[in-house]
Amino acid sequence: MTDTAATAPAVPIIDDDAGWQRLHPATLALAIVKLGPRSLQFLPAVAVLGFTKNWAYIVPAIAAFLLISLLAAWFHWLRFRFRVGDDAVVIESGVLARQHRTIPFDRIQDVSIEQGLVSRALGIAKVGFETGAGGKENDASLDAIALDAAQALRTTIRAHRSDETPAPVAAADTPAAAPVAADRLLFAMTPRQLLVAGLFNFSLAALAVVGAGMQFFDGLLPFDFNVFNPMDWIDIAEDYGLDQWLLAHRWVAGVGAALSLLLIGFASGIATMLFANWNFRLTREPRTLRRTRGLTTRTDVAVPVKRVQAAILVTGWFRQRFGWHELRLQSLASDGEKERDHQVVPFAKLDAIDPVLAEVAIRRPDADQPWQQSHRIVALGPVIGAAGAAIGGGIALYLGNEVGWLGIVAAPVIGLIAVWAARFHRWADLGDQVAIRRGAWKPKTTLLPHASVQSVDLKSDFILRPLGLATLVFGVPGGSALGAHEIPAIPAATARDLRARILTARARP
Amino acid sequence: MTDTPAAHPTDPFDPDALNAAEGLDPVDPAYAQVLRVATALNLVPLAIGASLFDALLIRQIEGPYGLITALAWLIAIVTIITFPSRRVSRWGYRIGAGQLRVARGWLFRTDTIVPFVRVQHIDVGQGPVERWFGLSHLVVHTSGTHNSTVTLPGLHSDLAAAMRETIRRHIQTDFA
Repeated sequence: MTDTAATAPAVPIIDDDAGWQRLHPATLALAIVKLGPRSLQFLPAVAVLGFTKNWAYIVPAIAAFLLISLLAAWFHWLRFRFRVGDDAVVIESGVLARQHRTIPFDRIQDVSIEQGLVSRALGIAKVGFETGAGGKENDASLDAIALDAAQALRTTIRAHRSDETPAPVAAADTPAAAPVAADRLLFAMTPRQLLVAGLFNFSLAALAVVGAGMQFFDGLLPFDFNVFNPMDWIDIAEDYGLDQWLLAHRWVAGVGAALSLLLIGFASGIATMLFANWNFRLTREPRTLRRTRGLTTRTDVAVPVKRVQAAILVTGWFRQRFGWHELRLQSLASDGEKERDHQVVPFAKLDAIDPVLAEVAIRRPDADQPWQQSHRIVALGPVIGAAGAAIGGGIALYLGNEVGWLGIVAAPVIGLIAVWAARFHRWADLGDQVAIRRGAWKPKTTLLPHASVQSVDLKSDFILRPLGLATLVFGVPGGSALGAHEIPAIPAATARDLRARILTARARP
Repeated sequence: MTDTPAAHPTDPFDPDALNAAEGLDPVDPAYAQVLRVATALNLVPLAIGASLFDALLIRQIEGPYGLITALAWLIAIVTIITFPSRRVSRWGYRIGAGQLRVARGWLFRTDTIVPFVRVQHIDVGQGPVERWFGLSHLVVHTSGTHNSTVTLPGLHSDLAAAMRETIRRHIQTDFA
């Protein structure tokens, strides 16, 4: 792959300079922006210079650092070139060690376009080629080219794919709705919907950050006020002469603290929702579901419909009461850096989700679908953990540590919750797909077509076997290795029966 | 496969009971020798380490010298002699109608089925110890994230090659 000569015969290069393109020159500006965070690494060196009283060298050192960084960025830009051929993208990169990579259009599953804040100002975009090869480093990207060039490139690759494979299997895959020529809008989020979604996105995760920040900047803030400290609320009241009244009504301070907690929770929920999903649009294109979203960083991701392996419906114990759900699709490609599954509907009622599911030929079980439950034994792990906590607490107490009470009090609660939550491990066989539901706090329903299953494990151990139980684990492409789809602790005969039925399913094309 | 109540094998210490009850073929008994050598390569250095620890430290502090050495070697030898043959008897496989079935383990038993049409590619591998006993292992790759490789050890080399050919005929290349 690093050898140019080895790949040359595959791509007949007659004129070596023909068709080669460079990245957009504005990429250099992007490099300058990226220099900001990177210069933090340089701070220790500056500090050392300062401590050793070599003040005179600080400015030249910083200048040299900037110059070298910019030169490096420029060299990278100079030595990076790519070419879009008839049926492949060729990328050559590397300043000293050259790398020559050929990516056939046929193997590109997904072309994503991503724009950060600065990139949007400059009119450039990062193009990512998802090839489905394992590992992040195996996926090539062009960072960055002009936005219209990026879109043209994607159109080229898509067009190639559409006329190259004359869809012998498409009929089975796209039910009823035959491939429509025009793009259809499947789902969009209005600012109002985003606001509602944000309210349900109440999160105290940001609170920890704010709280830690308050601690950290305690002496630095211009005002001496900690919203989490009821004493500060009492102080504020004193300033306004309310102290007499407040002495009688101390709870006001508590309410104030609680209100600010709520405010922060809601505000952070709304903010994360707005930033991530602003102007969310999901469109059906001839072969893909295309999603664009984002306020500052706009991403444009396409999920090939045929590559969808499973659908995952996520909700919460509270939002469930209002019928709000989130839809994720498990595909061969992964969604960006953090997420494995593609979030295609962030927040919607089920009647808005059903059309999207129909596009990927997955259906949701009806309300009157009979579900089967996993055995209670699935709670064994947490119960053993709780027992451990109780024993640890007892030992701590015996040694005279009062904290031990915490373990002893928490253990029965954890155990009871685990036993109660075990009821929520359910599954149903819908004929051509299995539905697996789990979780009480954050109910998650996985809709797994039989045809996506590549292998099935039937596991039993010294605890399940005497009870006549077994666990089914499904090997499904995509998703994370940790979150394998499984149906835990069901009767062994049922499990064997289900396995036989799933494995006879025709391959999903 | 479906009509036998596999909750308990009749006699858990009968080496063939489990596989026979589930309709699986046993792997080559010579695989026990391979496992034995592998176990020995793991345990003998540990036993040597324990002996050194005993000689250098316990003797210095005038503890019960010899106890650790004797125990370590006893455990190692018993493990090397008895365990491999039992572990081998827990492996079972079946080349059935269009699918490969591999089962392993008893305390934690996993019974995997891979349909041939789902196989991406196949490896037949042979380590130095396996070559000594004329064995090979078959590795089947699927595109699933879980179970992306399924390994079946302890096959006679000819059998492994024959199985590879059987599976190869079923592999569909139109996946991507």
